[in-house]
Amino acid sequence: MGRKKKKQMKPWCWYCNRDFDDEKILIQHQKAKHFKCHICHKKLYTGPGLAIHCMQVHKETIDSVPNAIPGRTDIELEIYGMEGIPDKDMQDRRRVLEQKSHAESQKKKQNQDDSDEEDDEDEDEAGPSSFQQPAAQPQAAYMPPMHPGPQAQGMLPAGYPGMPPMLTGVPPMIPGMPPVMPGMPPGMMPMGGMMPPGPAMPPMMPGMPPGQLSGPSSTTSDSPKVTFPAYTQPSSTPPVAASSSTVAKPPATVTSKPATLTTLSATSKLMHPDEDISLEERRAQLPRYQRLIPRPGQTAAVAASAPPSGAVGGMIPAQRVIPPQQPGIRHPIHGQYGGPPQGIPGYMAGGMPPYGQSAPMVPSYQAGPPGPPMGIRPPVMSPGSRY
Amino acid sequence: MSLFGTNTGFGSGGTGVFGSTTTDSHNPMKDVEVTSPPDDSISCLAFSPPTMPGNFLIGGSWANDVRCWEVQDNGQTVPKAQQMHTGPVLDVCWSDDGSKVFTASCDKTAKMWDLNSNQTIQIAQHEGPIRTIHWIKAPNYSCVMTGSWDKTLKFWDTRSPNPMMSLQMPERCYCADVVYPMAVVATAERGLIVYQLENQPSEFRRIESPLKHQHRCVAIFKDKQSKPTGFALGSIEGRVAIHYINPPNPAKDNFTFKCHRSNGTNTATPQDIYAVNAISFHPVHGTLATVGSDGRFSFWDKDARTKLKTSEQLDQPITACCFNNNGNIFAYASSYDWSKVQSQYTYFSFVCWLWYSIYYSQLGYFID
Repeated sequence: MGRKKKKQMKPWCWYCNRDFDDEKILIQHQKAKHFKCHICHKKLYTGPGLAIHCMQVHKETIDSVPNAIPGRTDIELEIYGMEGIPDKDMQDRRRVLEQKSHAESQKKKQNQDDSDEEDDEDEDEAGPSSFQQPAAQPQAAYMPPMHPGPQAQGMLPAGYPGMPPMLTGVPPMIPGMPPVMPGMPPGMMPMGGMMPPGPAMPPMMPGMPPGQLSGPSSTTSDSPKVTFPAYTQPSSTPPVAASSSTVAKPPATVTSKPATLTTLSATSKLMHPDEDISLEERRAQLPRYQRLIPRPGQTAAVAASAPPSGAVGGMIPAQRVIPPQQPGIRHPIHGQYGGPPQGIPGYMAGGMPPYGQSAPMVPSYQAGPPGPPMGIRPPVMSPGSRY
Repeated sequence: MSLFGTNTGFGSGGTGVFGSTTTDSHNPMKDVEVTSPPDDSISCLAFSPPTMPGNFLIGGSWANDVRCWEVQDNGQTVPKAQQMHTGPVLDVCWSDDGSKVFTASCDKTAKMWDLNSNQTIQIAQHEGPIRTIHWIKAPNYSCVMTGSWDKTLKFWDTRSPNPMMSLQMPERCYCADVVYPMAVVATAERGLIVYQLENQPSEFRRIESPLKHQHRCVAIFKDKQSKPTGFALGSIEGRVAIHYINPPNPAKDNFTFKCHRSNGTNTATPQDIYAVNAISFHPVHGTLATVGSDGRFSFWDKDARTKLKTSEQLDQPITACCFNNNGNIFAYASSYDWSKVQSQYTYFSFVCWLWYSIYYSQLGYFID
């Protein structure tokens, strides 16, 4: 890490807290993201430059820098690359970087908002930054709360109440490290990040309710638990002081209980069941799909703790009454499949050239055996299906 | 009268004839709806190869069946034939000459379906459900490749009950794709392995996953000379990674993009992130289509790194998609994929729509 050079840290963007390898890239980024005119897309060099351009050319005023994080939107501050950054922010950032490197063992966050295909004019995105961002992100996220001192106090407590709502669904997470997902609002981070340096709390953080910390620290030993998914790197912002505990070690999923995913975050939610098995595996475990499959050597994790979707209808089959239509959609009650290799004569007769005309085939289907050659499948039906 | 004898109970939008006049979420794109859809979710779709005249679409479903439709030039779909497994069908593929269809199922077997005689025979056996099946046509051999949840990748000469070769994988196979001489398999625990198929299949490289979430689908793309050069990998986290095998500048050439998420850039409300269920490349333009659990499909240009089009939202997740051999038709299947934990989605609408050339040509100006 370039911590001790270039103003003692890697170039970073004051507007959005992202890190860059090179100041040149940083400047390109600023021009493209923060100093670009939203009307004509002209790239200016500084914030004030952009404001003047909009006023003179488009007769429009702008009052904040586009794509900047809250607190950093001042259009009047002349910042170019790393020049012009207020000292206080510089120091804050340095401090944050140091804390980060002390407190954490592993840090690879998930990809942030980068290489978005929607933004086709983005020139500084793409691979490189997308993978470097993660490392920087957590640090970056520290900035907001640390920013203007007086504000900080106000912010934190304000931020804190904000937390519970986010974590409502997962109280246990608070003590542990909130599985930090990408795109988490900066507000989240500090919460997590603050935890480790319990004793070494930066003066900025007085507001940080120590009470909050004591909670987590007491349970640090518990934190890196099975709740953490196999996805090691991503969610770790192992804020917990237990430095030895490399959080988020993939719990071996060999046992029947699959690992779970971290899906929670204030800004995004994965629409996927919690267990880390594929949707097909989950579904194939349902009793309704297991009927005819040879029993022995069944697939893994059949024990899967009654997935909620079991309610879907998996349990029901036995009691279901068979409505006239033989829901067993699988049953050739309606006659006609050509399926079972038990050679349905009807098919052969027609020669069944699939590429031939369809007409002749229809009759032969009707002649199909009414009895389900394939064994009785319980009326697994489409619960709730339209009847 | 439908060939497969489905009752009239289905189709919240009616027994699916040709779309409806009002905009409904069942078929918001007003695409052609395939008649006689299967009775349970569709897991896979495959169009016939160019070696055969006409367009035939094969669809495998969770109702244990595999159906074949002919898609005529006027947009009509005609159900042609059907075969059954004893477990849900998870993948299908065609042989290169279009005379056989291979089907893989949860019943741990794979079958070869001879369309001319409408007979099937079992050609493979695994110890766990078979998740992927692909036909490999090499100059000196041909075989069927099956990937299973029993963590093996087996290669079968259809005439023999024993596999020609069996390769061990680190984890269960979740998805795979083959474009000779390359094959890619994505496994559980974010495993990613590339195989080379010349002479005989062998493992070429294990790649560290560019994605941070469970792998869900993969599709190989080709370069201008029609040689496979990389793949697109989709995860459950609404993201696709474009990865080249030997790029001149990996850091710049490989990238990921987000897709199938709600809310766009509105950060006020939490964003719902959906799984990417399938990826398919256009055979001519090289653009890719992704379909997701959010019930939309999108087209993307990976070279220009832009999104070309996103469909309206369907009322159910889209579970499978496929282009026909000349790229004029895009078929997609809408049915529940079990991505929601609660059981609200207890009905399966399993209709496929065909998205015809007329729509695609409208995209022309995006692509040029």
